[in-house]
This record gives sequence, structure tokens and C-alpha cells, in this order.
Amino acid sequence: MSELIGSIVILAGAFFLFSAGVGLLRMPDVFTRIQAGTKASTLGNILVLAGLGIYHPGWSLKLLIIAYFVLMTNPLSSHALSRAAHSIRTPMARTTVVDALRDENDASAAKGSS
Amino acid sequence: MQEDHGTTQRRPVGFPESLIVLWGFLFVVWLVINSSVEPPIVVTGALASLALAAIFVRRGDVWRIGLTPRKVFHFIAYTGVFLVELVKANIDMLRYVYSPRIDIRPGIVKVKMPLRSPIGRLALANSIALTPGSLVMNLQGDALFIHWLDVKTTDPDEATRMIIGPFEKHLGAVFG
Repeated sequence: MSELIGSIVILAGAFFLFSAGVGLLRMPDVFTRIQAGTKASTLGNILVLAGLGIYHPGWSLKLLIIAYFVLMTNPLSSHALSRAAHSIRTPMARTTVVDALRDENDASAAKGSS
Repeated sequence: MQEDHGTTQRRPVGFPESLIVLWGFLFVVWLVINSSVEPPIVVTGALASLALAAIFVRRGDVWRIGLTPRKVFHFIAYTGVFLVELVKANIDMLRYVYSPRIDIRPGIVKVKMPLRSPIGRLALANSIALTPGSLVMNLQGDALFIHWLDVKTTDPDEATRMIIGPFEKHLGAVFG
């Protein structure tokens, strides 16, 4: 029984990981792609780990530590990637409505040069 | 670019208390990873985690976290809120990804960072990255720049309430 439940949870995690991949292909620009990749792959990873924990109850504490590690590091790498992409002025999607960070950087650069 | 993260105006927690908290935390992680209570392993883990905790607590006040029952309660409440928001974020994301035409209005908005301690800021930034349609881009002083998948408002106060609202209370109580 626990094998069946574990397998279903792992399958759900795999579905979220697949959706992350589809999101990477379908989203219009770098930042929205990073968003799709970060969120769906984090939940997918956690579900796969939870499924493994149901499958092998003896591993669950170690898997919990791995889950916390993923939760800590996955968003961090997405912050670093998106910040770097913004600093080198990667173009944003045409539907973008506002870019407060660019405005702020331009304002401080103008203040520094005058 | 100046790296002013505005972390100077907090009161640090006492040295022995935070040493014990960090030591206990590292020791528990060691025991879980080894999953054994043989005396040599326990002694090695205790010594190694004590040395690491002493180094980290002495080198700076980033790791000086006090521990009280109230903080533990708020941390558990925060975990619950966080899991709910994570599932909501993913359902949102599935809706965008599988819709026939992706209809979004992305943008970068500025919100106010309510927390002072570095670890609290890290936890809040990570939480924001995993909640519906938002991703932290940069942190300058007390201003947090967030990429929002579907911009609903550009007013900083309103955006702060909408994005940080669910976490602010619990994280503020834990990390300050």
C-alpha cells in the first residue's frame, strides 16, 4: 500500500517537473522562464522526495534535510541568475508594463554623474 | 555598485546562547545524516559541530539567533503558510503554462523590506521567490525589487501588502 502511495506522489512530482520544462519553452522572456523553472521544479523536487520517504520510511529524515537544502538553494540561484540577466540588460517581454529597478539604477547613475 | 544591505541597527543575541543553538542544530544534522548513535560517531560529531559553531558565531553576528518557544511556534506557523503559498504558486504556474495563449503583464516593482537580520532577509527573499508569480531581483538598502508575473499595482505600499503580507508577521517574530 505504501509503495502505491509513494509511487503516486513521485508521479505527481514528475508531472510538476515536466510542467517546469514546458514553462521554460513557452514563457516569453528570461525572467518569466526563471519564474516557471524555480517554482514548479521546487515543488516537483519536494514531491519526489516525499514520495521516496513514503516508499522507504527509514530514509525520511535524510530526505527532509535534502528537501530543506533544495528550498534554501533553488531560489538563491534563481535570484543570482535573474539579477545577472537584468544587469546585462537582457531584453524583457513586449508586454512588460513597468521596470522599477531600471528606473532606480538610471536615477542613481544620473545623480552620480552630475 | 554599493552593497548596503542596512544590517547595522539590530541588537545582537548573547554569545553563549547563540553558540548553543547553532551547536545543537549542526549536531542534529550530523546525527540524522549518519543515522547512527555509535559513541565514536557521536563524539566526532559533537567536537566538529562545536568547532564550526564557535567559528561562525565568533566571526560575525549573522548566526546569532536566539531561541524561544514563541519563535519556534512562529517558525512552524510560517512553514504552514509557506507550504500553502507554494502549492498556490504552482497551481497558478500550471494555469499560465498550459493555457493556449500566455496572457501575462510582467514587470518589476519596488517594495519595502520589513526585516533587519540577514537570515530573516534570506528567508523572506526565498519565500517570495516561491510564492505566486513573484521573484526577487535585487535588494538595495531597504528596497526590494520584485519581478511580478502579473502586475496588479505599481504603488510600493500596496505591492508590499500584496506580496509580503502573508509572511511578514511570522518571519518578523522569528528573525526580527
